[in-house]
Amino acid sequence: MRRWIGICVLILTILGLSFVVAANINTLVPTTNVRTLAEIYLKYTYYPWDKYFTAMSPEACTSIVWDFRGLDTVFETMVFYLAIIGAIALARGVPLKLPKEIKRDLGLSLIVKTVTKIVPVLIIAVAGSIALHGHLTPGGGFQGGATAAVAPVLILVVFSQFYLLKRGVNKNSMLLLRSIGLTGIGITAFAAVLIGLATGHYAFVLQNQPKPLAPDVSLPAFVGGQLISGSLWFFNFFEFLAVAAGFTIVFLLITLPEKLAEAKEEKHVVEVEEG
Amino acid sequence: MITLSEYFMTILITCMIVNLGLALYGVFFKPNLIKKIIALTILGDTANTFALIIGYRMWVAGVPSRPPVFTEWRSNNPLLLLVFTKTAVDPLPQALVLTAIVIGLAVTLFLVFLTLQAWKIYRSVDMRDIKRLKG
Repeated sequence: MRRWIGICVLILTILGLSFVVAANINTLVPTTNVRTLAEIYLKYTYYPWDKYFTAMSPEACTSIVWDFRGLDTVFETMVFYLAIIGAIALARGVPLKLPKEIKRDLGLSLIVKTVTKIVPVLIIAVAGSIALHGHLTPGGGFQGGATAAVAPVLILVVFSQFYLLKRGVNKNSMLLLRSIGLTGIGITAFAAVLIGLATGHYAFVLQNQPKPLAPDVSLPAFVGGQLISGSLWFFNFFEFLAVAAGFTIVFLLITLPEKLAEAKEEKHVVEVEEG
Repeated sequence: MITLSEYFMTILITCMIVNLGLALYGVFFKPNLIKKIIALTILGDTANTFALIIGYRMWVAGVPSRPPVFTEWRSNNPLLLLVFTKTAVDPLPQALVLTAIVIGLAVTLFLVFLTLQAWKIYRSVDMRDIKRLKG
């Protein structure tokens, strides 16, 4: 009975929503008035004639994510890593250790293994390209990091977890890489302030190009003739490191062998009975 | 008489509203926790697509919209920048959706680990079983 009431409520919600959209198609679908803000962003994303308002990056999304709305993205990164820390804390009993003897026939067939020896190299190269060109082409640190994390997943599935652990891709090394990435993001966010303190000028947190109230401090848009868009390149690079390492930890923890999970479960039951 | 593009747009929006309903049904009524998480990701993706539709439209009649990447930046030509400003799609929803995807992914990861923990303790991911086991 309760189920039918719920389904009826859902159907009524869908029908009502459709009716509202259909009846107010002229007012509910945003008109071209929403375009004003977009035009400002698109104009000033790469605008070398006025250094005070531009992000000096031809890619409008990256300049919004890391410059115009930079603080928003820093907090978003914080949420992301708090969730990963929560996941690690939940999986704290998982022993990521090599067994004494490793069977030779772990993993899938020889053909799959041979192909997988080639493909992760390409995946990492493409991921690096996505991340390091984030200020020039569609993409950025997060997308590149998520792409790079596919390579460990492939190795986990085709070889085994022990293949990665044997080569030093374990929880601690990935935590180290993730911490390097997060520290880099923090330093880049405060880079302008540090330069301002050293030279005795005003500067803002997350400042990229000069601002009207801080005209003397800026991060270089070009290095050796190459456009790096000030802080955007560094943000993308460090975010790439942090996201790739964070995802690798999570995938390592989530593909734990079933025997280990069962062993942990028995131990847990004993603890509960004692308590 | 409606045009072909209006017709396709109506189909798209209708499908997405149905998708929204199906996802809500999955979140509320599926007893399996993994299926609830899958429905939640579909819900998030539908909401993101709604946000993208706001920006991804033909802004100048007859001129197809282009991605928000100013590819001719080397030319230093303000005229090309003006054309870009008028015809590119709205980048703000895309940036906001990027943020939403990242946070959605983080929440999904956390929920998956919670479900794994529930499986380790209760040996089940079915809400009915877990309810019976409480106490």
